[in-house]
Amino acid sequence: MNIKLLKVIGDLRINPGRIILVIFALIIGLWGVGSILVSYTILGRDLNENFIRTIPPHAAITSRDFNKLDLAALRKHPEIEKVEFRDFATLRIQTHQDEWIPLWLFGVEDFNNLDLARIFDQNSNSRPIVPKDEDMLIERDGLRFSELKAGSPARVRAGGRVIDVPVAGISFDPAQAPGTQDHLIYAYVNKKTYTEITGEPSNQRLIIRFNNVKTTQEVQAAADGLVNYFKSFGITVDTIKIPKFMEHPHQWQLNTLLFLEGSIGFLAFFLGAVLVSQLIAAILARQIRQIGILKAIGASRSQVFQIYLTMVLVLGAISGVIAVPLAVKSGYAYAYFVANILNFEVLTASLPHHMYLYLIAASLLLPVLLSLPAILKGTRISVREALSEYGIQQASVVKKSRIIAKLSLPRNLVLAFENTMRRKKRLAVTVAAMALGVAIFNTGFNVQQSLKDLLSDVNNSMKHDVQVVLINQMPKEEALKYFSGIDNISRIETWNGGRGAMQNMIVSTDSGVGIVALPYNTDLIGFRSIKGRWLSGPSDPEIVMNQEAAKMYDNPAIGNSQLLSIRGKQYKAKLVGIADEFEKPKIYMAQEQYDAVANPEHYINSLMFVAKDKSYDKVLALKKNIEKAIAPSGLQVLYVIMQAERVKIIYDHLKIILVTIVFFALLVLIVSAVGMASATSINIMERTREIGVLRAIGATPAIIYNLFVAEGMIVSAVSILLGLLLSWPLSIFASKFFGNLMLEVELRSSFSKSGFVITLIATLVFGWLASRIPARKAIKVSTREALSYE
Amino acid sequence: MSSFIQFNQVSRWFESSSVRFEALKNIDLHIEQGEHVAIIGKSGSGKSTLLNMLTGIDHPSRGTVQINFTDVHTLNESRLAKWRGENIGIVFQFFQLIPTLSIRGNLLLAMDFVGSIPSNARNDRAEALLAQVGILQHADKLPAALSGGEQQRAAIARALANDPPILVADEPTGNLDSKTTEDIQRLFADLVGNGKTVIVVTHETVLNTEYDRIIALKDGAVAADTSRNSPQ
Repeated sequence: MNIKLLKVIGDLRINPGRIILVIFALIIGLWGVGSILVSYTILGRDLNENFIRTIPPHAAITSRDFNKLDLAALRKHPEIEKVEFRDFATLRIQTHQDEWIPLWLFGVEDFNNLDLARIFDQNSNSRPIVPKDEDMLIERDGLRFSELKAGSPARVRAGGRVIDVPVAGISFDPAQAPGTQDHLIYAYVNKKTYTEITGEPSNQRLIIRFNNVKTTQEVQAAADGLVNYFKSFGITVDTIKIPKFMEHPHQWQLNTLLFLEGSIGFLAFFLGAVLVSQLIAAILARQIRQIGILKAIGASRSQVFQIYLTMVLVLGAISGVIAVPLAVKSGYAYAYFVANILNFEVLTASLPHHMYLYLIAASLLLPVLLSLPAILKGTRISVREALSEYGIQQASVVKKSRIIAKLSLPRNLVLAFENTMRRKKRLAVTVAAMALGVAIFNTGFNVQQSLKDLLSDVNNSMKHDVQVVLINQMPKEEALKYFSGIDNISRIETWNGGRGAMQNMIVSTDSGVGIVALPYNTDLIGFRSIKGRWLSGPSDPEIVMNQEAAKMYDNPAIGNSQLLSIRGKQYKAKLVGIADEFEKPKIYMAQEQYDAVANPEHYINSLMFVAKDKSYDKVLALKKNIEKAIAPSGLQVLYVIMQAERVKIIYDHLKIILVTIVFFALLVLIVSAVGMASATSINIMERTREIGVLRAIGATPAIIYNLFVAEGMIVSAVSILLGLLLSWPLSIFASKFFGNLMLEVELRSSFSKSGFVITLIATLVFGWLASRIPARKAIKVSTREALSYE
Repeated sequence: MSSFIQFNQVSRWFESSSVRFEALKNIDLHIEQGEHVAIIGKSGSGKSTLLNMLTGIDHPSRGTVQINFTDVHTLNESRLAKWRGENIGIVFQFFQLIPTLSIRGNLLLAMDFVGSIPSNARNDRAEALLAQVGILQHADKLPAALSGGEQQRAAIARALANDPPILVADEPTGNLDSKTTEDIQRLFADLVGNGKTVIVVTHETVLNTEYDRIIALKDGAVAADTSRNSPQ
């Protein structure tokens, strides 16, 4: 074997503990960065790939006149790539005893020719089984939170009827938002069954893909053209729905996760880099005298450079052999975890070859890059300097800190303070890395708290306990009569409003505005006012918008009159306030005003139940009793929802992000703590001779141990202080940033008390461990060994 | 006519803040090929600085150092490394063998760096040198497994690995017992007999029967320069 390589291997075996620490740090860094790279590659393309392979439509158009349409002729239209009928109705389905949730029922034109908005079988391998007449397919995500299963009938409520529909099989529809998060079930039936279940004729909704469109605006233009085309055949279009152009409804969640992965991964890598470069610098520091010898026996600088470069490459190769397979495995595991939550399939069966090249290159090149400054510095040293190197010199302590001198601290502590200041650059890097870890860890908790506060706001903004939304408006007394005998009802307030068909979506990706007509002095609303005030009376034409509506209308000025269109009628009202509500865009107005414009019969379409006993179990029992009352009533109900469920739906959307934030933040903290441990360890190694001197003049192992632990704790304390200070602006920025990224709202920055305590305890414990481990090692060195250390 | 090793008005000073310390003062020194020279002096006399000048480890602040027709003080770091490998073999007080390589490995590494010995001849040369210094049986042991004397013999063998004309030894027997010291000195004498120039730096009292020449340094200057044949 090459003699230089033999030397490298021999050197690596001198201090196995330190080498294992370097390899460990490299593995952690490479593993972290590699996992992120792998999962980023998989997730970045697979959600979109899942979505694209359904051949998603660009638009959906509904009309009751499509019986006049010649579909074959339309398919020949040059602007049309694909078009087919896919009817859609929102019904309700029983998931458990007395628990009903929204059902999105799709009427499929031909299961054997799914050219557009394709669905797959449960395992996503092929086409779904074709349901017979009267049967339906259920989307697989719905199985996770319901008792529905293939082969058993599902109870479906359509208007006032309850129908048992056999579930023929389970399908997979990766183009839909996960049912678990939106708390709804997707089902697919043929046209005949669709009509039987809904009572509506089929072929009333077209889904379309246009040729040569690349933006939503181009789709809009093409759809407008199509509307005119339909008009020429006497077809009146009822609605046009254009989803975000070629984007999965939950792409935002994935974007947030990928951003989190990317940014935290980068930070973890940065901290890992600091750690690795420190460790390699420490190894080289111990080799300085040997570098002098090598040069003295004829080695040129480049030859010495090659030896240490080889050493780093060997370390990188060992780390790579372990880290790369781990990174691929954990990257895939994370991708599967996210895919499972977002209900899509991981399609990347094998990573592209260049990904392995990147990982191998990262294994070999990153350690080289990280250690290059130390290697260059080490090899640049002259023979004379190298031969006279004896580690950290007493001369490096030039003056005592004035503050420390003034404090009457125990001598040991003063010594610890002075020692801490001996390597100022290293101290700065260690403190900066640790402070960054602390700041990110604490920011993770603060962002989590901001999200929790948002949920709390949502919870407090509406004081009702159960809401029943009717499909069609009806007289108040008629609606109320079914609920008169139910226990635990304090009162029922009735509301009305427009565009009820949209109100089942709690977290909507659609645009549009909902009109809510309610008693102006209702005590069921508890919004925080962003600007202006709430409605002042029944006779004033006033409106209040929530912030999403305000954003949609480009933040109109308070006090200005706005023209609204309600049920085809024009209504002019003064905007008096903007309310803080995490909801789809809504405009609130007094019931009396609404009735005067669009509801002369004083009909209602929402019943807001207020419970006497507001405990969760009692409210759940109330909801079940309401469902029981609805069952025989014939009421056409859009949904029945508890306020607590509403909050849970939002929470379920954010849960994965909340967990990921804290997990990644913890990773950063661990990496920075390992960095601090290594810095302390290097300090101790450099002062081995000094330990010997201290021992020789009477210091007990306990004194030396306490000295090093005190040094470590001083570094920890400074890092924690700086980290917590840094987390303040970082939390404000992160709350705004993640709020915008996830929810398109700016989250209020919050302070997490529990997060603060956890950060404090975790970092102190990490700091203590980071000092204790090398300090214990220091006291194991004998006085003779320490004094003979070169 | 120029000498094999020639110091012309060599001074070396070190400055720290406002203090200037002159380690060598206008040294004029001529050493011929094949001489066995001892440079002696107390601690702080300038021995180590002089040795550093000889080996190119340090450069003079003023004056010139010419060895074997090369102006050593003008060479840059990389040319100096090659020159040193080919011309000077250094023996250190604490042996300074590479602890992670076998004795054979230490010799091979030195040859590997300089490259003047063909690679297929290096192992044979290593064994020949180890046989010459009497430790061939320890060729494949790590330095720590050898006694102090054996390690110093290994260090001498390594210093000779690239067949340099000059051997410089810094306190080579400072850590050795008297019997081993005698053996090492005999080894140096044999090398001189084989045409090598051997320069030993020591603070110990030496006899002029052991060396061709003894140069005594005091306060950075040559205090005495006596040859074997000079009167005591």
